[in-house]
Amino acid sequence: MNIAVCICQVPDSASAVAVIDGALDMTRAAWVMNPYDEFAVEEAILLRDRFPGSTVTALGASPESGKDLLQKALAMGADRAFDVRSFSPLQDPFQTAWVLAEALRNLYGEALPDLVLCGRESLDFQNASVPAMLAGMLGMVFTGPVSALRAEGEHLELERETEGGTELLVARLPLVISTEKGLNTPRKTGIRQVMEARKKPLEILQASQPPPPKVSLESVETVSKKKRCRFAATPEELAGMLHADGHFRHISGED
Amino acid sequence: MAYYLVFLEPRNGLVAGVSADVWHRVQEQLFSGDRVAGFVAGSLSSGALDVLQGSGTVHHALSGRPAVPSDMELCRMLSELVRKEGCTDIFMAATAAGRRLAPAIAATLPASLLAGCTSAYPDEKVCRRYIHSGSVLAAYRPQSAIRIVLQGREHRRVTFSSLERPRCVAFQESPGILRDAAPLIRAIIATSSSEDISEAGIIVAGGRGMGDAGRFAMLEELANLLGGSVGASRSAVDEGWRPHSQQIGQTGKSVAPELYIACGISGAVQHLAGLASARTIVAINSDPYAPVFDVADYGIVGDVREVLPRLTDAVRDVLRKK
Ligand SMILES: Cc1cc2nc3c(=O)[nH]c(=O)nc-3n(C[C@H](O)[C@H](O)[C@H](O)COP(=O)(O)OP(=O)(O)OC[C@H]3O[C@@H](n4cnc5c(N)ncnc54)[C@H](O)[C@@H]3O)c2cc1C
Repeated sequence: MNIAVCICQVPDSASAVAVIDGALDMTRAAWVMNPYDEFAVEEAILLRDRFPGSTVTALGASPESGKDLLQKALAMGADRAFDVRSFSPLQDPFQTAWVLAEALRNLYGEALPDLVLCGRESLDFQNASVPAMLAGMLGMVFTGPVSALRAEGEHLELERETEGGTELLVARLPLVISTEKGLNTPRKTGIRQVMEARKKPLEILQASQPPPPKVSLESVETVSKKKRCRFAATPEELAGMLHADGHFRHISGED
Repeated sequence: MAYYLVFLEPRNGLVAGVSADVWHRVQEQLFSGDRVAGFVAGSLSSGALDVLQGSGTVHHALSGRPAVPSDMELCRMLSELVRKEGCTDIFMAATAAGRRLAPAIAATLPASLLAGCTSAYPDEKVCRRYIHSGSVLAAYRPQSAIRIVLQGREHRRVTFSSLERPRCVAFQESPGILRDAAPLIRAIIATSSSEDISEAGIIVAGGRGMGDAGRFAMLEELANLLGGSVGASRSAVDEGWRPHSQQIGQTGKSVAPELYIACGISGAVQHLAGLASARTIVAINSDPYAPVFDVADYGIVGDVREVLPRLTDAVRDVLRKK
């Protein structure tokens, strides 16, 4: 099974992100692998180990990705990694998906990978669009975020959350799957794995210039969530305050 | 002039309530010369479209085979309809299906995808939305001639009413469009009893401070009384006290209730990330310095074991007197 995993880096904490002169300032941020992408890498490795002859290829296309991110994927167990470089920073999910789709076509040709795994969303911009866009561009089927995956020969049994509960799906490869929290427990990497990862191939893949972005980031401002909290001395007083301020308006008197 | 297309999601043979809301919000924002179309696929109960008020034409795709078309088929049919009709703005509810479909269509057409806008696009020409876990508000400007807007619960309630009704026409796919594009076999749909907290108007949520799984019964009682749902912090989910589907925050759900009651939750940034669109926040915590009080509108310092039963009784009392 040919498995490709698309990963990116995000600031380890949103509190390190600042807005200076109307632009995002990330200089205080420390970068980590997007937590959702860890589930994708872990799942890829679990599948590879179950199906002999499989290969896991990690691709990173975010400008900050660079070596650290891909080295981490290699340390977790990916077989090879590609740092997908673009001439200018990617500006929206469309450009990111476009560059990844091109990279996958270059690497796999018309055959495409059997499975493309992505995190549900990246925790910086939280668009949750790249996986579905990538699938659309490659003409592959996208399952949406899955919280359980069981491989049964040619078929995968998947679970995904919807408004009404959990949907149980049976799907045939090839597929693009995005990973939800709880799918697995991503492994920790130690010195030994990091040293071994250095011996694995990490190559640079130059992307062509993507089409213009479909949305542009026009301005940013920091949000202050601080409110003036009104404290109640007793639970009874709290209930009275909430009632007086109309917070129970819509509830009927009969319970 | 805008030509809106609203994707109407079927649910049990009817039009999903959230889709009808999107339809009516679009009707509300029409200027003269604007047009509206709807699209719905699959078999519907008779009269299913009667919930839709206002002008326009609903295109109903009834292809006979599989009752529920795959995402890929929906994507092709919608893209074809947009091109044929010349639609400029596609509106969809931000349901699980909508979130899969919208980016797929955006990549196919291509179109500008606007999701999670806090401002009512297109009243404002930009989409303002939270990024970086709710710490930054960003304004995005669409660059394509076609826009796709995913609307969640963060939008105002609709009050639209009209005597007009849309007309319904059959949608004819071009021959060949429905090639074998459905390798996704839907085996079973296990509908669990868990209500969807991302749609809840009132949420009573518990954190590590609840102490154990059993005490969530107190939250359920209060939530039932208020007609709300129970949510949880990641710590409570990690402890196994609640299912992941109830987790609120950066790696859980984003919620937009009118009233959010946080019980034994410290107020970590990752938790608050899911609360950017919550209107009023009430905090119950034994630590007067808990960060949750910085973002709360109302607070009470105390032990949940003592506060919650008394609060529930007091709420029941004020509701009775109403
Ligand atoms: C990448 C990442 C993603 C994350 N995503 C999420 C997420 O999606 N959602 C989320 O919630 N967290 C998330 N977290 C975790 C988050 O940082 C916090 O650890 C978590 O929210 C804490 O949960 P808590 O408030 O229930 O527990 P604690 O922080 O342990 O707080 C418990 C609170 O209960 C109070 N308390 C204790 N006993 C009582 C009592 N008897 N009565 C009243 N109050 C009492 C305490 O004073 C304290 O304030 C994430 C973290 C990371 C690193």
